[in-house]
Amino acid sequence: MRAMIVKEFRELVRDRRTLAMLIVMPLLLLIIFGYAANFYVTSVKAAVVGPQATQVASQLPPYFDVTTAEPDGSRADAESLLKDNKVDVAFVTGQRPVRALVDGSNLFAAQSIVGTLNKAGDSVQTEVLYNPDLKTSWVMVPAIIGLILTFIGTIITSIGLVREREAGTLEQLAVMPIKPSTVIIGKITPYFLVAALDMTVVTVLGILLFGVPFNGNVLAFALGAAVFLFVVLGLGVLISTLSKTAGQAIQTAFFFLLPQILLSGMIFPLDAMAVGVRWIGYLLPLTYFTMISQGIMLRGASIASLWLAYLILAVMAVVVFTGATLRFRRDLAPGSGHARGGQQPVETQAVTAAGPGGTP
Amino acid sequence: MTAVLLRASSTSRRFGDVVAVDDVSMHVQAGEVVGLLGANGAGKTTLIRMLLGLLGTSAGTVEVLGGPPDRARRRRLGYVPQNLGLYRDLTLRENLAFVAGAYGAARPAVPAELRSYADVLIGDLPLGAQRQAAFTAALCHTPEVMLLDEPTSGVDALAASRLWDTIRDRSDAGVGILVTTHNMQEAEQCDRLLLMSDGVLVAEGSEHDIIGDTTAIAVHTDDWARTFAALNAAGQPVVLDGRAVRVAEGDPHRLGQILATEGIAARLQPVPATIEERMMVLARTTSGAA
Amino acid sequence: MTYGITSARVRLGDRTALDDVTLRLPAGSVTAVVGGDGAGKTTLLRALVRQVTLDAGTVNTPEKAKIGYLPASSGSWAALTVTQNVDFAGGIFGLAGESLAARRSELLAAAGLTAAGGRVASQLSGGMRRKLGFCMAMVHRPSLLVLDEPSTGVDPVSRIDLWRLISEAAAAGATVVMSTTYLDEAERAGQLLVLDRGRALLEGTYDDVRAGFRGTVTCGPSAVRPEWSWRRGRERREYWPAADQPDDSLVVDPDLEDLVVALSLSARNQEAAA
Repeated sequence: MRAMIVKEFRELVRDRRTLAMLIVMPLLLLIIFGYAANFYVTSVKAAVVGPQATQVASQLPPYFDVTTAEPDGSRADAESLLKDNKVDVAFVTGQRPVRALVDGSNLFAAQSIVGTLNKAGDSVQTEVLYNPDLKTSWVMVPAIIGLILTFIGTIITSIGLVREREAGTLEQLAVMPIKPSTVIIGKITPYFLVAALDMTVVTVLGILLFGVPFNGNVLAFALGAAVFLFVVLGLGVLISTLSKTAGQAIQTAFFFLLPQILLSGMIFPLDAMAVGVRWIGYLLPLTYFTMISQGIMLRGASIASLWLAYLILAVMAVVVFTGATLRFRRDLAPGSGHARGGQQPVETQAVTAAGPGGTP
Repeated sequence: MTAVLLRASSTSRRFGDVVAVDDVSMHVQAGEVVGLLGANGAGKTTLIRMLLGLLGTSAGTVEVLGGPPDRARRRRLGYVPQNLGLYRDLTLRENLAFVAGAYGAARPAVPAELRSYADVLIGDLPLGAQRQAAFTAALCHTPEVMLLDEPTSGVDALAASRLWDTIRDRSDAGVGILVTTHNMQEAEQCDRLLLMSDGVLVAEGSEHDIIGDTTAIAVHTDDWARTFAALNAAGQPVVLDGRAVRVAEGDPHRLGQILATEGIAARLQPVPATIEERMMVLARTTSGAA
Repeated sequence: MTYGITSARVRLGDRTALDDVTLRLPAGSVTAVVGGDGAGKTTLLRALVRQVTLDAGTVNTPEKAKIGYLPASSGSWAALTVTQNVDFAGGIFGLAGESLAARRSELLAAAGLTAAGGRVASQLSGGMRRKLGFCMAMVHRPSLLVLDEPSTGVDPVSRIDLWRLISEAAAAGATVVMSTTYLDEAERAGQLLVLDRGRALLEGTYDDVRAGFRGTVTCGPSAVRPEWSWRRGRERREYWPAADQPDDSLVVDPDLEDLVVALSLSARNQEAAA
């Protein structure tokens, strides 16, 4: 018994990736939960339009951070500010009571705003746009679409590619007259198609089952999804070049996946996170896709207003793919430099262990 | 009267309709090394598993150290599987410590030849050293009988003979050893051989006994490529042999005819077959009969 | 056209995997690269197909489209059937349609795999799997066929089949190089290269090698000089580099195993003395 325990401990200590998961992960989660987990929004961006704009703006409590005060603005201007996600609430003055248009796609902010405004009583009439009933599902479904794509992209792609390396067939491909880029494209195409199909199904189901609206341009949405897919598939290829076994690939992919679930704004609002942690969220691709999917589906936002998100995703795609291809090329064509340092080429054990011999 | 340490008496084993082992009787005495040969599907693995007590018999009995292979007897048995049974992510010393702990035995000393590898991970050792380490681990509880699965497969000739020195050391001390092998160099190192084919024990004894009177034909010719092509096209089991050509099993008369029609001059010489060729002939006859 | 590697030197980490090794591959012949684990066989073959970069030396091979390679580890895709595997390889090399189907039938028939055409590769026995890998490496009739331990761990009957397939390829004019740990297989090849810890021990045809061997090998129940002896069956053999064995010892005609062990011992003893 003792021998067994000692042995397991020794093996665990040598397994760096699992150790990292067991020790670093809980610490990471603690820090994230400590600093990020915050459902309470302390301040929201507001705009005031209409004849008494400046007056009303100065009367608002500091909770409302007024970024725009437009005396000449109309309700339409207010709505477009909300649609473009420039503010979370827009006050339209010029009538009694003052109208407060709240962006329902930003769930926690909206809930907080509505709660605050309710205390103001009859002087303000609140109207929630895009998600009138403040349903969580309406906000979650667009985010989950992104999550599913991330899952397929990173975990499944990395396993698929690593299996090739594990089986030893990667070497064979390397000696055949195929270009490394052909191999990569050939390998990710099925996953791209499956992911696209998955996404369509989930979106349609989301709309049908939960009544989530689709107010925006389908093509814009598809474009955003495609770019995002490239990012996550590229990450999958990159992870595969860092892993020797499928088990390692899953562990590494998990490291990439977990922060995205917690810090992309899907569960805890970005605005509510401590600044120190928020910037991590801004590095994650899922954050930007969520902006795109929520914007298009709930607010009917245009590409123009979301251009930054699209651009960032495009840049990420290029960077990740270039990195992944370069590393992959090294695996397939060790043309320059040494074979990966110090590693004895795989010897015969693989064949003898793999081939089943003899009767059961 | 030397003790019989392993014995199978008219042992059979079926899996549904398939008879994996068919009425096999064999034994291993103290101090001898017996080699078990056979193609895939011959029944070697099933027989071994019955001897180890991992599988029951459908008929006949199996005896290890005079009785059925229960846990108490298995403690006195040493087994080295083909994939070593060692943990690749532990060092040599740690592996030996684990095995000793598991058997409740004293930790074995690291043998002199392996001392420089004592604190190296098993996965990083050259194969010869790995095999020797596996053997050392199997010895830690001083077994009286051992089963080794392809003990020197993949190892170079010198390291293999060194490993056999260690194996022989044990057999000289009275341990009975059963070795399974595919390798003719290994077969040569055994005192006695057993050849299984299709579940049946077909031959027993020295290499000479195993081959029996199976002969192959060596074809000496100036143009080996044409000779090969001609015989191959005629469906003969022909292979290259250095600069000559060899037919595993054939009728010299017929071969002569084929070559004559092609206008090839050649000298045909019957030679003793190799063990593999004997196995091939057996495989053909059984599949032909089926 | 003689393919091969000249004066190869490869360092992997802090180990010298190959040290000044030359491999000559005459056309239409089978060359066996022999040695145990760690000898450098796989490194040499991988250098030949340019998967490993040489630190010194040159490689002479045809272009990728004319090389057929069977790696030590696998050779076929586990989740595909036998037929699908061959079709994939054929496709990569530009075969299609009727000609691909014809070539596939030809290859599978020669390998005895026709009946297993629809079986998934992971369910084949080790020997059948290696034969499949061989078919895939041959699908495009390469001029250089590189096989890394095609028969290690394979059952004896499949080994004969593989050897026959290899012979066929050579008879048809391909240059074949294969690595093996089995000395009896090496004896049957036309040309040999025996490696020991990255250095060439023996080279040439079997007759050349035998003729070039200096010294004698004796056989007996015990050895006079333990560090020059090794076990064979129940007896010990001993190597006398200067042929100065005692008069009453039994001199034997050394076979390839004797030659290899004798020269390995020689190399080790020289190192120890230095």
